Amino acid sequence: MRAPSAFLALLLLALPAHAQPAPQAKAPPAAAKAVASRPVEKVFNAETFSLINGMQVVVIPNHRVPVVAQMVWYRVGGADEDRGQSGLAHFVEHLMFKGSEHVPPGEFSTRVKAMGGDDNAFTGQDFTGYHQKVTIEHLPEIMEMEADRMRGLLFPPDAVLSERNVVLEERRERTENDPRGYFGEQMKAMLFVNHPYGNPVGGWFNEVDALTRDNVMAFYKKWYTPNNAILVVSGDITAKELEPLANRTFGTIPARDVPERHWTKVPPMLALPQLVMQRPDIQQPTWQRLYRVPSLRQSRDDALALDVLQEIMDGGAATRLYKALAVDQKLASSIDLDYDPFAWDDGVLWISAVPVEGVSMDTLGKAIDAQLRLLIEKGVTDKEMEEARIRVRDTSVFARDSLMGPAMILGRILVTGGKLEDAEIWPSLIDKVTPAQVQDVAKRFLNPDDFARRPYVTGFMLPAAKPEAAP
Amino acid sequence: MTILKRFHAVLVLFCLAIAPPAEAREITAKGKVLDIQSVTSESGITAWLAEDHSLPIIALHFQFRESGAAYDPQDRQGLAQLASNTFDEGAGPYDSQTFQKLLTDNSIDLSFSSSRDVFGGRVKTLTRHKDLAFRLLQLALAEPRFDQDALDRMKAANIARIRSSLTDPDWMAARIANDLAFAGHPYARNAGGTISGLKAITPEDLKNFAATHFARDRLIVSVAGDITPGELKERLDTLFGKLPRKASAPLLADGTVKNGGTVALYKKDIPQTVMTVMQPGFGHLDPDYFAGQVMNFIFGGSGFGSRLMDEIREKRGLTYGIYSGFYELEHLKGFTISASFNNENAAQVLTLMRQEMKKMQTAKVTPEELKAAKSYIIGSLPLTMSSTESICNMLSDIQYNRWPIDFLDKRAALFNAVTAGDVQRAAKRLLQPDNLTTVLVGQPVNVKPTRTIDALPNVE
Repeated sequence: MRAPSAFLALLLLALPAHAQPAPQAKAPPAAAKAVASRPVEKVFNAETFSLINGMQVVVIPNHRVPVVAQMVWYRVGGADEDRGQSGLAHFVEHLMFKGSEHVPPGEFSTRVKAMGGDDNAFTGQDFTGYHQKVTIEHLPEIMEMEADRMRGLLFPPDAVLSERNVVLEERRERTENDPRGYFGEQMKAMLFVNHPYGNPVGGWFNEVDALTRDNVMAFYKKWYTPNNAILVVSGDITAKELEPLANRTFGTIPARDVPERHWTKVPPMLALPQLVMQRPDIQQPTWQRLYRVPSLRQSRDDALALDVLQEIMDGGAATRLYKALAVDQKLASSIDLDYDPFAWDDGVLWISAVPVEGVSMDTLGKAIDAQLRLLIEKGVTDKEMEEARIRVRDTSVFARDSLMGPAMILGRILVTGGKLEDAEIWPSLIDKVTPAQVQDVAKRFLNPDDFARRPYVTGFMLPAAKPEAAP
Repeated sequence: MTILKRFHAVLVLFCLAIAPPAEAREITAKGKVLDIQSVTSESGITAWLAEDHSLPIIALHFQFRESGAAYDPQDRQGLAQLASNTFDEGAGPYDSQTFQKLLTDNSIDLSFSSSRDVFGGRVKTLTRHKDLAFRLLQLALAEPRFDQDALDRMKAANIARIRSSLTDPDWMAARIANDLAFAGHPYARNAGGTISGLKAITPEDLKNFAATHFARDRLIVSVAGDITPGELKERLDTLFGKLPRKASAPLLADGTVKNGGTVALYKKDIPQTVMTVMQPGFGHLDPDYFAGQVMNFIFGGSGFGSRLMDEIREKRGLTYGIYSGFYELEHLKGFTISASFNNENAAQVLTLMRQEMKKMQTAKVTPEELKAAKSYIIGSLPLTMSSTESICNMLSDIQYNRWPIDFLDKRAALFNAVTAGDVQRAAKRLLQPDNLTTVLVGQPVNVKPTRTIDALPNVE
């Protein structure tokens, strides 16, 4: 069995920012790995319709048990913050639990609990999501509650101040208590120079510390509208049953204009960035690499090819990277390649590896680059293509075996500008990807020798140098 | 998997079993919360089955009681952990890569795991790959290869995991808490292994591990999904029919939480103090157990809405999260509280926490609190039955606790019977504000430790 890489969790974009009982609180955004790895076949048979105010609704019927998951996704996240106000989107997410007209401060979650339900929320670069799981008879009530906080928030001044301390504590806990947190944040900042994705979703400490009630009120007013939201309901219900409920709750909220996104771009970067973090508390060296690559919204064809590439390079312990680096060459004890296609702007592909004792960063990096060059020069085999296709297809069957999973996947695809139809037929789209396309995306986006056009960031976390070895 | 997650994994396991609430609503046609069958094979192997043909998916979980990391020899800490990593690294005619490729190419999810008490495994497969999936599990159990090459790889990965954890203050706090609270008992050892222990383990050790722990008298099997009782019987015999009747490994002695009153500090240059608190508790066979669960929910087990969370996060913004929970091991029962907070606020949080403990003991919970807790605990059961895997987990937990097969149907009544007086009694028994084993990692201000820890125990 492969040892899981602790690193990936720290690089993920979304913050499940609302704390929950211990195990969940630490978990990376539930579906991030699954979502990033592979969307699904005509799995969900989802139904969709729109409300009069422009809010999109997606229903994923699943009648196995009489329960239902509601998710509301807003098309706003950390990347939509004004310069100097990082962490604002995430702060607003927390304040969504601090009261609206009919739900007093702090009562949202306790009411859901009293129904025997669970709830939480998360913020990413491009989106903010709110979700609850309840037995079906409670659905109308949680829809009313969710609509209530879409209509308007109270922002009690004392609660705003005290919650700002909570989000600062969250930042300390997630990022500042462990050098891996800082490192992941800095890698992203380097990859997305001058782009809002370069700011951590949780915000830079000094900026969060300075956020005001006016800031959060203005941000909420600007972005939290029904026409900027998607309702996804998964479980024991049909579109026909949901429609009147949705009309009565979210449907009565007036639409408001939402600004278009104009994000600054990453300028041409001619120098190849390499980050080194060397500290006495680090005992285990780690190697990291981040690439900016197309997202699904930017190029469906490239995203499909990169998805297959990921499957072939890192689809299990018997696929390329692990086989080459860990089994054959014995240079790494773990290695991961992950691609996240669900972004409004550029997607990210990252590789992380842990060297075996005594193997240098240089040796490990060269061996990884050699695998990338091999892929670029020789491409992939038909057999590898076929194996990857089967895995994607099988995964889509497993994806049905969940209540939240499908809502998470479809919500993320839609909120980042993807199409429902694409998600439904993903496996057959994957079937059409050719070996030449996989080779081509490797050449265009992952070439270690083409950094002048496609800069990437490489980073090392290292133990402190031994005193005698110090310069 | 880090120790921290393992620490939590134990909590999850027990929380699911206890907190998984059963509402009296009808979910199956037979009027049961969940239709569970007990299936016994020709040779006498019993499994619980939740048959469901709505998806072409089968999940099987098995566990061996009293076979986990706590049984690792002192100089081989990490044996159970390493076993969990190597049983699927080649078996019978297949070397590691061939075995793994068969799993990958056929979308078979097969893995092993160990906790302090339990060694177990699970397989999840599409129906069309079931023959291969069961064949591979059977091979892994009966003819694991433990090839040196694969063993070395897994050792290296585990050692890297331990070294990576050394920047994680939660992991460090858990390590110290186990060492102090379980002092003198094998539970104090490092369940994830020590670097020297892992290095010392040989293929012989692993074979011996299987030979002494795997037996019918410690086996629990749970199955959910697309399989009939008739087919399951045959599978059970193939998988487990050749196991010896009784395991030869000796059982652990019972222990209690030690070092009450200790405030141990591990100084670390981080902005927060990470706190883990342990105190003596009781287990699921105790008459106050269900009252204890309700108490825990109200006190700190439920996240939002719990008293600890209300006072420390919601009212004062001092933490991102504070949680309490039962820490039940087979031979030692504890009750734990954990949180992290700005170093500056450490003294205030510790004071507030003790105040809340005392409040739980001196005054009864309100009727509203009691109602809300029961309502969640009872009403949330169906949420945990939305996947094949989660149903399988539930069957395992009920069996592990030796509860009856109709436990889910009785559960609501057990919780409904709990009174405010019961909750107060449970609070008096479970919360011991003056007898806490407290571990702090960080630089807490205005907190006087009774001892300082300079080196992490049982890591090297």
